[in-house]
Parts: sequence; structure tokens; C-alpha cells
Amino acid sequence: MGEHIEIMGKDIYFWNFIVLMFFTLFEVAAVFYDVIPGTEIEVTKLMVWAILIVVGIIKGFGIAAFFMHLKDDPRIYTRTALFPVLFVILMLWGIGLSNPAGVTELPSWCTPNWDYAETR
Amino acid sequence: MSGGHGAHVENGIWMRAVMMGGILLTIGVLLFATLGVFMANEKHHVWEELEDEYHHMEVEVALDGIITDKEAADLDHLHHEEIAAHLSYLTYRVAGITILLMSITYAAFIGVGGLLNSSKPAAEHGDGHDEHEHHGSSSPIIFAFGIMLFLAGFPDFVIACKAMLNADLTPDFGMLALSMVGLLTIVIAVSNWWFEDLPFNGHGEQIATSYPFEGEHIRKAGLWVFIMSEIMVFATFFSSYLRMRTEWCTKWAIEDGVEACQGVEPVVTASDLIRNDFATILPGAINTFALIISSYTIVLALKTAKNAKWEPSTGIMGKIMPTRKAAIRNYLIATLALGSLFIVLKLVEWSHLVAEGFDIGTTQGSIFYIATGAHGLHVFIGLLVMLYLVFKADTVGYDEDNAQGIEYFGLYWHFVDLAWVVIFPAFYLY
Repeated sequence: MGEHIEIMGKDIYFWNFIVLMFFTLFEVAAVFYDVIPGTEIEVTKLMVWAILIVVGIIKGFGIAAFFMHLKDDPRIYTRTALFPVLFVILMLWGIGLSNPAGVTELPSWCTPNWDYAETR
Repeated sequence: MSGGHGAHVENGIWMRAVMMGGILLTIGVLLFATLGVFMANEKHHVWEELEDEYHHMEVEVALDGIITDKEAADLDHLHHEEIAAHLSYLTYRVAGITILLMSITYAAFIGVGGLLNSSKPAAEHGDGHDEHEHHGSSSPIIFAFGIMLFLAGFPDFVIACKAMLNADLTPDFGMLALSMVGLLTIVIAVSNWWFEDLPFNGHGEQIATSYPFEGEHIRKAGLWVFIMSEIMVFATFFSSYLRMRTEWCTKWAIEDGVEACQGVEPVVTASDLIRNDFATILPGAINTFALIISSYTIVLALKTAKNAKWEPSTGIMGKIMPTRKAAIRNYLIATLALGSLFIVLKLVEWSHLVAEGFDIGTTQGSIFYIATGAHGLHVFIGLLVMLYLVFKADTVGYDEDNAQGIEYFGLYWHFVDLAWVVIFPAFYLY
């Protein structure tokens, strides 16, 4: 089990916690600063997107693999967790292919009676 | 009662749940009085003074007819100070009210559950010694039925609540009654669920006998299937947001020179109002840290429960957690406190956004509040369950045999953390 692995006298959960905290700080800083502190390197939007996606994957893996024990549990649990991800990918793909009017041009009766629906 | 082995539970033990409810309510009232009344009133005075000063200066400038650069700068500075004072007032008022409402809900939930169970005949309690004891329960079905009744009447329940504040609306008290019956059914089902679980000492866990979960605990498999469905729920929010977000002419899209957005008024998203200022990004960032720390504290609670050779540490930690039972309980209390902090900061942040004009009446507001609100609701439901875990840890106790309760709840709690890992960058930073 994961708890038996120790690095510098601390178990894997502790290090996972530290990694999660560090990457949270990193992603907040990546968005907060326009220029990397101490340099003149501009933090572009492409960099921000890449950082948010990569950090999200690392943090998601850390939580699922270690805190949720998927790394040590039988594979059926990992498959169960990943099964809906297939649908999520399909959904995102469908969204990418869909027409913008599919969302912004919905008739008023399809939307709650909010101000934007009445004034559109 | 010793940890999990002496599983006969006296009725009187449930009165500790009532006492726990009383303690939570007292803490809530004290915090409300301090933050929501005393501090908020102080902040309100400061805000009123600055508001008067600002309007006074505005009138003076208007009467002069000419505005110098210095006057314009002073006016602008004063306006920012007034806004900051308003937000500061909102922080204390909303935090105080949220803490009060949460403590009332906590006290009602654990207190009513404890009261119902303490009044049951003693003979109904299982002794938990039977290795073949069947631990299937009808409580989840009753619970689901209660939720169905509650939700059936919910839209009119909301209207009835609004009608109590606004005479122009006509409430449907029939549907309100249906919701109330649903709520009562939920409370009865949950308290019965606790009643069945409290003496559970880890023996008699049902094992799946067929593919694909053969040999696994049924409750754990069921929880993972539940998490699977939850992933889909959050995926719909996330994909709807991405779909709309990629089409909006946001400040970023305009700066990037997207052709369709040239000359168009930018669409303001929540992240536009949050990400570039330390004060606005702080609540979301603290919430992210709070959830990660709470994930770790529940792991520590489980690890301690499973460690039969646990020994207290030296120093201050040893004083806070002198026994294994106290350590598990205190880790769970820390998790509860961090989760509660999350809800308080979430509502404070919402109040700031609404004050800045970002309300639910726009597409970007609607998806933001629905997605983050659904996540907040999951956190809050988790906190209600955690109240019971704290109660069990404090009374019967958890050990290496019956730690499944913490483990399975931990899976749900980690999932809530996982969902936030996606929601936070998407809705707050992107």
C-alpha cells in the first residue's frame, strides 16, 4: 500500500499534499502575474492555458491515484472512474463541432425569464 | 465505549449528539455576534462615512463646474475606498450570517437525529457481534424517497419562502408542505441510517459475488458508481461553460484580436473580476488550499484509524491528540472546520461579485453560480455527513476494523476536491 512508501521519513500522502499545495500556488501565480517576477519574460495567454491544463492533470492524478487509492486498489475502480471520462471527451468533442447559435440563439421560451432573455 | 469492538450502543449515547448540536449552535451564535453584528456594524459605519464623503465631494465638484486633475484623482481614490469599505462590510456580514445559518443546520441535523435515536426502544439496537449480521439497510431508499418529495415541492417551496418576504407573491402552501414532508422523511431516514451504523464494528461487510466487482465490498463499489455519475454531472457544467466561454467576446478574445470581437463590448466573466487582484483572488485561492488540506486531514484520520500500533507524538501534537480516538476525532473536526470555511468564503465571494454587478441574470453569471453552487452544495452535504463521523469518532470510535466509514466518505470528499481542481482554474482563473 502507498502509506508504506516513505521519502525522507514522510509517507506518500504527505508528499502528495505538498505537491498539490505547490501546484495550486503555481497556477494562481501563473494567472496573477503578467511577467515572471524578477525577469522580463511575459506570461502569455497560451502559457497560462498550458499551465492550467498541465497543473490540473497533475493535481487530478495526485488526488485520484494517492488520496483515492486508485494506484493500489484493484484496476476495476480505475476503470469505473475512467468510464465517464469517455463520455466527457465525446461531449467536449461534440461541443467543439457544434454551431455557436446552438447556445446563443436559443428561443426565449427555452430560457428562464431572466433579463437577458427578454432584452435579447 | 471502546473503539469499535464493544459495539453495544446505549440509547443515552445519542444525547451526546444533541449536546454536540448545542455546542455547534453556541459557536455559531458567538461567531455571528462577533463577525456578523459587531464587526459588520463597525464596517458599516466606515462605509457610510466614506459614502457620504464621496457624495459630498461629488456635489462640490458638480457645483464648481470645473474639475482639476487633483480633484479627479481624489474623487477616484475616494470612490475606490468607498467600494473597498462596502466589500469589507459585506465580508463580515455575509460571513456572520453564513456561519449562523450553517450552525443552525448542523445543530438541527445532528440534534434531531440524536433526539430521535435516543428515544428508540433499547432492544432495537444491534449488538454487532454476529459475524453474519446482514448490514443491508432500507434507509437509503427512504432517504431517496424523501429527496424526491422535497424536490417535487422545491420550486414552490422557494416561491413560498419569497412570498413570506414579499406580499406581491401568492405562495402555494400545499407544495411547501410537500417539501416539508420530504425534509422530515430525509431526517428520519438519515437518523435511522446512523442508528444502524453506529454499532457497526466492521464485521458483516457485504461482498460482491459477481463480475465486475467480485470479491470487493459492495458499499465501496456502489460509492465508485455514484462518483462515476457525479463526474458526468460536473462534466455537463464544465462542458456547457467551455462551450459558451469559447464563443464569448471576452477581454482576452478582444486583446487577442479575434476578428468577430472587434468593436464589440466585452463580455465580463467571473474570472475577469477575480483573477487580477490579490483581494479578489484570495478567497478562491484560500478555498483551494482549504480543500486540499481537508483532503489530507481526512487521509490522516483514516491512516490513524487503520494503525493499530498508533502512538501519540511528542510536543504540542501529543497534547492535542493524546489518544488514537482523540486523534481521529480531531482530524475529522479539522476537516469539518476547513469544509465550513470553504462555504463561508464561497458566499462571501459571491456577495462581492453580486455587489459588483455580476449576478445570475446573465449567461456567464448563470453558469458560474450554478456550477460553483452545485459544487458548494456537494461540500455542504459532505459536511452534514461529516458531523456524524465526528460523533461516531467521539463515542463508539473508529479502529482498523470499522474504518470503512471514513474511507468511503473520504472517497466522496476527495472527489469534491477533484471537482474543484477543475472548477477553480476554469471559472476563476481562465
